[in-house]
Amino acid sequence: MTDLPTSPLPALLVGLPILMATLSLFFRTRGKALVGLVGCLLTAGLSFIAFAEVTRRGTLIHILGGWDPPLGILLRMDPLAAVFIGMTAAVGAFISLYAWWYFRAQESTGGAFPLFWPLWLFLWAGLNGLFLSNDLFNLFVTIEVIGISAVALAVLSGKVAALFAGLRYLLAAIAGSMAYLFGVALLYGSTGTLDIGLLGQALEPGPATTFALLVITLGLMIKTASFPFHFWLPPAHSSALAPVSALLSALVVKGTFYILLRLWTEVFGVSLTFAAGQLIGLAGAAAVIWGSWQAFMQTNLKLVVAHSSVAQLGYLLMIFPLLVLAPGVTAGSADWLSSAWTAGVYQVMAHAFAKSSFFLSAGIIIMALGHDRIESLRDLATRMPMTVMAMGLAGVSLIGLPPSGGFMAKWMLLKGIFLSGQWWWAPAVLAGSMLAAGYVFRILRLAFAPAAEKQTWRPVPVALQLVALLLALASFLIVFPADYLVQFLESSKIFGSGVETIVEGGGDGNY
Amino acid sequence: MEPYQIYGLASAVLFVIGIAGLFAARHFLKKIIATNIMGGGVFLCFVSFAQRDALAFADPVPHAMVITGIVVAVSSAAFALALTRRINQLTGEESFPNDK
Amino acid sequence: MSVLIDIVLAILAVYLALQSLMAPRLSQSVFLFFAFGLALALTWIRLGAVDVGIAEAAIAAGFLGVLLIDALRDFSPAVSEKQEGADGTSADRSTKDTKSRLLPSLALGLGLGLFLLIAVEAIWHTPKGGGLTALSEAMLAESGVEHPVTAVLLNYRGYDTWLEIGVILMGLLAIFVAGGVEVYRKPRVLVRDPLLRQVILFFTPVLFLFGAFLLYYGKSGPGGAFQAAVLWGATGILLHLGGWPVFAVIPRWLRQLLLTLGLGFFLLLGFAFMAGGAALFEYPPAQAGVLILIVEALAALSIATALAAIFAYFNQMKDEPNEIESTT
Repeated sequence: MTDLPTSPLPALLVGLPILMATLSLFFRTRGKALVGLVGCLLTAGLSFIAFAEVTRRGTLIHILGGWDPPLGILLRMDPLAAVFIGMTAAVGAFISLYAWWYFRAQESTGGAFPLFWPLWLFLWAGLNGLFLSNDLFNLFVTIEVIGISAVALAVLSGKVAALFAGLRYLLAAIAGSMAYLFGVALLYGSTGTLDIGLLGQALEPGPATTFALLVITLGLMIKTASFPFHFWLPPAHSSALAPVSALLSALVVKGTFYILLRLWTEVFGVSLTFAAGQLIGLAGAAAVIWGSWQAFMQTNLKLVVAHSSVAQLGYLLMIFPLLVLAPGVTAGSADWLSSAWTAGVYQVMAHAFAKSSFFLSAGIIIMALGHDRIESLRDLATRMPMTVMAMGLAGVSLIGLPPSGGFMAKWMLLKGIFLSGQWWWAPAVLAGSMLAAGYVFRILRLAFAPAAEKQTWRPVPVALQLVALLLALASFLIVFPADYLVQFLESSKIFGSGVETIVEGGGDGNY
Repeated sequence: MEPYQIYGLASAVLFVIGIAGLFAARHFLKKIIATNIMGGGVFLCFVSFAQRDALAFADPVPHAMVITGIVVAVSSAAFALALTRRINQLTGEESFPNDK
Repeated sequence: MSVLIDIVLAILAVYLALQSLMAPRLSQSVFLFFAFGLALALTWIRLGAVDVGIAEAAIAAGFLGVLLIDALRDFSPAVSEKQEGADGTSADRSTKDTKSRLLPSLALGLGLGLFLLIAVEAIWHTPKGGGLTALSEAMLAESGVEHPVTAVLLNYRGYDTWLEIGVILMGLLAIFVAGGVEVYRKPRVLVRDPLLRQVILFFTPVLFLFGAFLLYYGKSGPGGAFQAAVLWGATGILLHLGGWPVFAVIPRWLRQLLLTLGLGFFLLLGFAFMAGGAALFEYPPAQAGVLILIVEALAALSIATALAAIFAYFNQMKDEPNEIESTT
């Protein structure tokens, strides 16, 4: 670890947003928003600089307090972390701009909600901290930072529905992080270290490791809203304010997925079994079908979008069975693993851009109409062509039609599925796309239909519509650097070493 | 039987009691108490390992982690309590309306 | 013999936890939970974790207990199982309810039983990892303090502690959001007895000094920022109850400064040393002791302010129902 280049950037990525959040507390409504926005833009800029630095110098580390692990905590910005931090910065910057105009437009009616800004900066610091952390207990602290700030943002509107949804979300989040922490206790007890790298070397298979794998996976699945623990997501995401819904669905649920991916590939390699992978895959497939079907049945736009998140997160779980091959089975081609990884990373990015765009569009419609019932979307195409275009593009990416980022993700997922010989996951992927086409076109068909009754359309700032459209476009633009991005991810040391341990773990057939 | 084994067993029992309470109890306050009992179980597990690994003194790292964990858990619980009381003020509800 | 004490203590903790979830009245539930916290605190001391014991008794049992007891004012004393029957139309619905709930609860019981077996098996067979006892002892000389737990909290893993101070501040913001208010109003004077007010006035400097002692003592023994913060926070709470609403009186900028000082100074100090080429939160061993004491003092001040503010906020929640102020 110590041979990697040290850099102050990882520490700044956590410190800067918290500094700006603290600073913003000294100001009142307008000032808070201004300091908050400046803080967001600075953090985004710093993230891009750090991303560029990683592409130039490779993995960067920062040894906090100068104490090497296992005593101290190590921040590590490897290519995978860099991609997630870059994505957070891009989505975060767009949503911050949207939020600025969104709250400005509603300032006169008491809708300024200045506490959005410090909470969002805390959330951002938590996310950056999570992506950078290399320490199991520190990961617990970052998921708590994320959990509390995310729930506080979700209940920002103060409406009764949001409060109920927020309390449910909070209780689920606490239970999830306690389950995670229980696993951490056992891992620490059996190895005496919390550092991910050292744990990967020291961990031996046994009942304690298996139990830790079980509770950590369950705890993180609760926080990622994986089927069957998805119950808290649709009410919480649909009842929040538009910029918050976008943040929650695009970024927050991805944090715990990232830990799950890290731990499965870097720590639990020795005790993974074929059956464990298949079970997670099954939960993912069920989420894809159930979530898409539920999305199809909803009558309110935000509920459609929220249920669609359940389905889209299901695809993420479907890469876990691909990491562990059945005992005695060898993959048809060595490419299967990199396909699975690419599918996961692309699904995260495509969903982040498309879903945030969709939620921001829903916010625009609510601002114009005062509600989001789907039947009232008639005539939307002539009133707000930009918003319809944003929803159309984002929808295409959610369905997975070429040439969107969503297509890239699903294509890579299918490739991984067939190369690893686990063809039985393919129908779920296809059915999910079909159902997604159903709920997306149901919305678009109405948007292009002529108006049935007279509705009042309040004016909405063009800037808001522009941000939503740009985010939808971004879910297509991410396809272009695909080759480069795959290469970049493969240059990560962990990416290579993960493969070995996984194949060994699966090959042992210790289930 | 060593003390850490006794408390290790108790930690698993407390964790399970907490989960059961979270599912079975309906009242908001009881659900919040249940999450804290879950936390108590987890912390007990940490500290019993610290006692097992004692040399001149018990392992300080789990102690520090548990202090951090307690403070974090209390912050979350206080937030949950604030949500609960606000819901109660606005609606008079004391549990989730559609709780099965 | 000593094993017997451990067995009794463990059974007591489990019993109190079970009872606090099963008690028919809400107030019993809360008080049993308080007792459970105290039982855990005793357990920590049995296990040689005096710092954890103080933190548990002061924060988890004490502070959270006070908040829960305060919340009791809002709710009807009987728990919802009975209230359900009352507002759920009639009795036959509740019998149908119990029937339809039988199968899920049976499944839950079986699942949890199985889970418990796996958990016990796992804990029983956890290999002896050895922990970090030896390493933290070896590095103690360079950490600037003599008490190992303080060394972990403020030096080896200072980053965690810094984030945790952030969590407390965030918790306060979150509570403001949940209630929709961010103003401190003068509370009604709860303690009218002039003698009692005199007692509070007398105890204020005592508590404050005792907190300061704990803070300083944390360098070499159990104590430190969190324990001091609770005592200082208690001072604030007592003053508030006695009719001296500290938060309503001091200017807003001072309030915000008190709240953010711990988090902000901790970070800025880290940044200052980073500018000199060190890592974040890395202190030169010669000055580490003094720097840690300053960081702890400011952190304790901020945490105490936050705890007192949370209490003051909860305390006024019942007094101002259905009032939404603009959150400035």
